Amino acid sequence: MQSQQIQQLFVRYKILALLIAVAIIWIFFHIKTDSAFITPGNLSNLFRQMSITGMLACGMVFVIIAGEIDLSIGSQLGLLGGVVALLTVNHGWGTWPAIGAVLVLGLLIGAFNGFVVTKMRVPSFIVGLGGMLAFRGVVLYITGSSTIAPAPDDLIALGQGFLPPKLSIWIGALIFLGMAALTARRRVRRAKLGLQQGALWIDVARVLAIGVLIFGFVRILNDANGIPIPVMILLGLLAVFTYVSTQTVFGRHIYAVGGNMEATRLSGVNVARVKLVVFALMGLMCAFAGIITVARTGSGSPSAGTGGELDAISACFIGGTSMRGGSGTVYGALIGALVMASLDSGMQLMDVDNSWQMIIKGVILALAVWVDVLSGSNRG
Amino acid sequence: MSEYLFEMRQIVKEFSGVRALNGIDLAVRPGECVGLCGENGAGKSTLMKVLSGVYPYGTWEGEILFDGKPLRAHSVRDSEDAGIVIIHQELMLVPQLSVAENIFLGNEIRKFGGVMDYDAMYAKAEALLARLKLKDVNVAARVSNYGGGYQQLFEIAKALAKNARLLILDEPSSSLTSSETDTLLSIIEDLKKDGVACVYISHKLEEVARVCDSVTVIRDGKHIVTKPMSEMTTHSIITAMVGREIDNLFPKMEHDVGEVIFEAKHVTCWDVSNPNRKRVDNISFEVRRGEIVGIAGLVGAGRTELVSAIFGAYPGRYEAEVILEGKPLKIRSPEQAIKAGLSLVPEDRKRQGIVPMLGVGDNITLATLAHYAHAGQIDRQAELQTVDAEIKRLRVKTASPELAIAGLSGGNQQKAVLIKMLLPQPKVLILDEPTRGVDVGSKYDIYKLMFELAAKGVAIIMVSSEMPEVLGVSDRVLVVGEGKLQGNFPNVGLTQEQVLAAAISHAAEGSAHAA
Repeated sequence: MQSQQIQQLFVRYKILALLIAVAIIWIFFHIKTDSAFITPGNLSNLFRQMSITGMLACGMVFVIIAGEIDLSIGSQLGLLGGVVALLTVNHGWGTWPAIGAVLVLGLLIGAFNGFVVTKMRVPSFIVGLGGMLAFRGVVLYITGSSTIAPAPDDLIALGQGFLPPKLSIWIGALIFLGMAALTARRRVRRAKLGLQQGALWIDVARVLAIGVLIFGFVRILNDANGIPIPVMILLGLLAVFTYVSTQTVFGRHIYAVGGNMEATRLSGVNVARVKLVVFALMGLMCAFAGIITVARTGSGSPSAGTGGELDAISACFIGGTSMRGGSGTVYGALIGALVMASLDSGMQLMDVDNSWQMIIKGVILALAVWVDVLSGSNRG
Repeated sequence: MSEYLFEMRQIVKEFSGVRALNGIDLAVRPGECVGLCGENGAGKSTLMKVLSGVYPYGTWEGEILFDGKPLRAHSVRDSEDAGIVIIHQELMLVPQLSVAENIFLGNEIRKFGGVMDYDAMYAKAEALLARLKLKDVNVAARVSNYGGGYQQLFEIAKALAKNARLLILDEPSSSLTSSETDTLLSIIEDLKKDGVACVYISHKLEEVARVCDSVTVIRDGKHIVTKPMSEMTTHSIITAMVGREIDNLFPKMEHDVGEVIFEAKHVTCWDVSNPNRKRVDNISFEVRRGEIVGIAGLVGAGRTELVSAIFGAYPGRYEAEVILEGKPLKIRSPEQAIKAGLSLVPEDRKRQGIVPMLGVGDNITLATLAHYAHAGQIDRQAELQTVDAEIKRLRVKTASPELAIAGLSGGNQQKAVLIKMLLPQPKVLILDEPTRGVDVGSKYDIYKLMFELAAKGVAIIMVSSEMPEVLGVSDRVLVVGEGKLQGNFPNVGLTQEQVLAAAISHAAEGSAHAA
């Protein structure tokens, strides 16, 4: 009993540790930039910047938990963004049909990658390396290596628009009530089935903490025009991916496949199908990220997303995803993405030389994983 | 100078306040073999980690004397330099390297500072293998060309190459056939004559009785008894290990055997890497309702391949006709097999049984997760209720169902894997080495469960290399040798000799043979 509580605390402590790291980074930059960092305007920008890496990280965390890797996502992003720009700008498609088509195309590209990995048994590292080149080549070919602009206004609104402040407050309140209701329902059901209950104060404290976090978040962003739409989309994806990973059969199977594929196969799980769906979801996330990239910049650039795979993978590892597969969380990966975005934003504000930005980001990635190894959570 | 080569005195090791070892003594004379017995979780592995320097000097209390001098090993390297070498239960060979390269791994003979001196290593490797009476080994060939029996002996050669004076063997026979074990034991006898001391850790008490001069039993981290082997019997060792009398290792229950419900016909498997070689050659058999059929044979005879083909899990090309309750089944994957009413508890628990990082509960429900889900969403509370009930029923020892299964002892892990494969309510249960590396208490529970299932009408197929188990549990025994069915005996007055004769008569080479 005792050790279980300690372990649970430890798991929670890990999230806390990440959040504390974010806080330290923010305070550090805030001081160094003469109080220009923790301002509604800058934070709003920061969250919008991280939304694209965050979308990729949502998909990537599943891929890594399943014991695979996908290096082609930056190029997939570029390709899918290019297609949405081409369809709307050059072919006169409406924004929404184009978005629908690109989401389906992303799903198909991901599924194709998954097919090559699972059915043709090419290691995913190689499939990713190949895809990185090939997909980038396709973008350059279809765009003729030139930027496609201007994107239609309703597409741009998706990237640059904001949620009305009133609506944000309503959504925040709804989420808070939903969390509280779910927690209460679980306690009632556990009591009815005679199962062990966690301490009441822990549940209450957690719900309250979430409430404070939501309120603070909405409040700050409302001071700067409201919640940016890409951030809202990312939060929606966070909810969906967290739900899938913790509450569904498919989610459990992802962890099992990554933890021990052979044992999972012998338990009657179709491991190839699980991996295929994981890759398909990755493709879908690339479509989201590609569309938002075009919407933010107002144009389809053939070089969009270059290096995006590295940001997404770094975010996952900073967020505590195990290199060997089998463990990791979606929110961890997003906090990882927040760390990366904070570093970018802060160092730009401080006018740090680009070379130093790269060095510092690289060192911090290695450092973060080292701390994770020290804490023992990466031991398989 | 004391008469002992090696002495451990009052060893105490604590893990965050829990005493895993509580004052253990162990002493070995030169040329003596001491058997170390205890149930899983008794502290044998911890003791050996203290001894071999895995837990460095200072992280435990007590004293270790080697050659009369205190030994303060700060790493495995230190204890190996002193002449203490452990051979682990799982073989630690690198399959892609040659036999000689493995024997000298980390201990290479060099010339010009860093260049491998292959000539010297080959010559010395051959000499070492000759000492172990292995003559037909090509030391330049890959280790993976040789079977498990040979590989175990390579490990011993590796230890000898390090000038081992104290050899610790941890369950050395767990993946060996009985003839391979014979070879191993006679080699240990020879090493004893050369003055090499041994600590022999094994659940297989017949082996301990044969090769050991004295026995030390530990239980719950405490030293229970040390006596010369001549004063101990298998029964008295078990009593000391368990702390209570176990009168009957096999709690046989009467169960009715009904009509034939399962048939496997013309099962043939081809080798994965050598498509011309048949690992299983046209085996057919049937099992009745409530019948326990034991499948005996040497390791590598094709037993595991036979059952994995039936279960749709054989990785290479295979053919199999499977009929359940008169209806032919189309099984090409474990998924289909489980849906059809078959379950398989695989041979290699670590590699095929458990998902180590997942919780005990998550492991237990892995095969039946859909039962607790509505539209893909898991009803965690319903899941946990089943898990709690099953953990209690089979007495799985875990602090919480949410703890990672990797932290459980082998016996408890095996029980969890068994529960996982029983939850689909199979009509036919296939068990591949169900008690390998499992302690006496858990073994008893597993056998009891098997009899209960048989009484409920489940047909059970059990592959086992432990002859007493095959004879103690089965209603009927099939013997597989060289991929063919060599015998089908009702277990009435059946003896180990009869089964062994059937298993060996067709394996012309007799002892351990290269794969």
